[in-house]
Amino acid sequence: MSLLLQAVLVSLVVWIGFLDKAFLHTFIYRPIIVAPVVGLIMGNVSIGLEVGVAVETMFLAMVFVGTAVPPDETVSSGLAAAYACLAGSAAVGIATALPIAIIGQIFRQTRNATIYEFTVKRMEHYAQEGNTHGIIMYTTIIPSIIEYLCFGLPTFIGVYFGAEYIQDFINFIPKEVISGIAAGAGLIGAVGVALLLGTIKDKTTWPYFLVGFFVASYLGVNMIGVAVVAIVCVALNYYKDKLSQEEE
Amino acid sequence: MSETINNEVQSNDVTLTKKDLWKILIYSSAIESGCNVTKQEAPGFTQGMIPVIEKCYDKDEDKKEAYTRHTQLFLTEGHLAEFCVGVSAAMEERYANHRDIDPDSINAVKVALMGPLAGIGDSIIHGTLRPIMAGIACSLVTASSNTSALGPLLFFIVMAAVTLTIRYLGVFKGYESGMKLVASMQEGGLLNKLTKYAAIAAFIVCGGFISSLVYCSTPLTYTSGKTVISVQEMLDGLMPNLIPLLYTLLMYWLINKKRVSAVLLMLATMILGIVLVYCGILA
Repeated sequence: MSLLLQAVLVSLVVWIGFLDKAFLHTFIYRPIIVAPVVGLIMGNVSIGLEVGVAVETMFLAMVFVGTAVPPDETVSSGLAAAYACLAGSAAVGIATALPIAIIGQIFRQTRNATIYEFTVKRMEHYAQEGNTHGIIMYTTIIPSIIEYLCFGLPTFIGVYFGAEYIQDFINFIPKEVISGIAAGAGLIGAVGVALLLGTIKDKTTWPYFLVGFFVASYLGVNMIGVAVVAIVCVALNYYKDKLSQEEE
Repeated sequence: MSETINNEVQSNDVTLTKKDLWKILIYSSAIESGCNVTKQEAPGFTQGMIPVIEKCYDKDEDKKEAYTRHTQLFLTEGHLAEFCVGVSAAMEERYANHRDIDPDSINAVKVALMGPLAGIGDSIIHGTLRPIMAGIACSLVTASSNTSALGPLLFFIVMAAVTLTIRYLGVFKGYESGMKLVASMQEGGLLNKLTKYAAIAAFIVCGGFISSLVYCSTPLTYTSGKTVISVQEMLDGLMPNLIPLLYTLLMYWLINKKRVSAVLLMLATMILGIVLVYCGILA
């Protein structure tokens, strides 16, 4: 496949990811899906999977509540996987993921505060007139095009014009920095878990945090096992509540 | 409920059919499209109301008024928003037919539902289910040494099935029994219980994530007498994943108590990693 075609396809994958965020929200925009698909396009599924796991892990627990815009995992994993495949090394993807994610976040914040302020104004205008075509135009059609211009197109440019600089970039960065970034990526998960802890409303259930920590860290239970423990604890509480309600 | 249905049939009122509800489901799928800072999900909500308003109201004036009503700020978790769409559809239909409810109450119910639905959706779908499934997918990929796409495929199938089912149930159940459900939710303390169960699950998962998501190891050693002691082994003997646990709690304290930006902390963590590896403290 020529680089032009690959760049176009990668930009379409990222665009579909953004459409998923806006419409059905089935989570196909997550790195664990985007990076392997980009790997397939770039001719190296294995590196795609490896970058997918690394970037997904970095952003796994990132839950930004309400109006906050998180660092963008979709543009990040799409471009990072493409760069990793071009360079033939997953480490390149891991090193570039976070900076790209933060640039993506800035794009999203700017888009929400400028372009979408305008489209929502137009939508409101058509709503007051009762014009259904106008509402659909400024809710579905124009935002979809904007998503491509804001995220798909930059991805295309990043892959097509950035490809030749990737090798220079790797040669330029010292080995210590690459392994330092890997170590930092290992700790970044802590920020995610802290964010996830922050979203929990009922803090009186905090001892369950230690239950999860104990089974995973001391007993070495994997994520499926931890999920089973969570189901057990929720079920026990459910039946206890049901019983006490019946007694009343 | 059956009484109202009979009344509506007798007086030839407009009722939404199954087909209309499917239409609402499709129109309202844009709930998170074109969100801006001031109105958030209002455009998607207004679009979702098109099938209802076009069917229930005859006069242009009524239609305009109804559309304008839904351009108010709306913000909740994207999947559970469909439940609000379903409830609003039922209320618009009732208002159009009987004029016996205050139109302002439609927005009041939406606003009342926004907070609890966001709390449940964020903690169960985004905070528990999605991280668990993604974590399982990641470990499947790692276990196959990056050769099998089974993990991502499983993630896709489960997440798509769950999210699309929630959307379907939101519109259909919200329309059928929305008002009753809202009332019984508030009476029976169902929302509080759901919040508690979500909290339990999320806490356990967070505790479990420490070992798989946060990792660091130190190559430092020191000699005591003639034996060389590895600092990492000593720390592991004290408590496995001690440093990841402490670092996570520090991040929690900084984000939630000191209001430090999470993005800033991510960057700081990266820089810290580079510096510590350079100094030989981390490997």
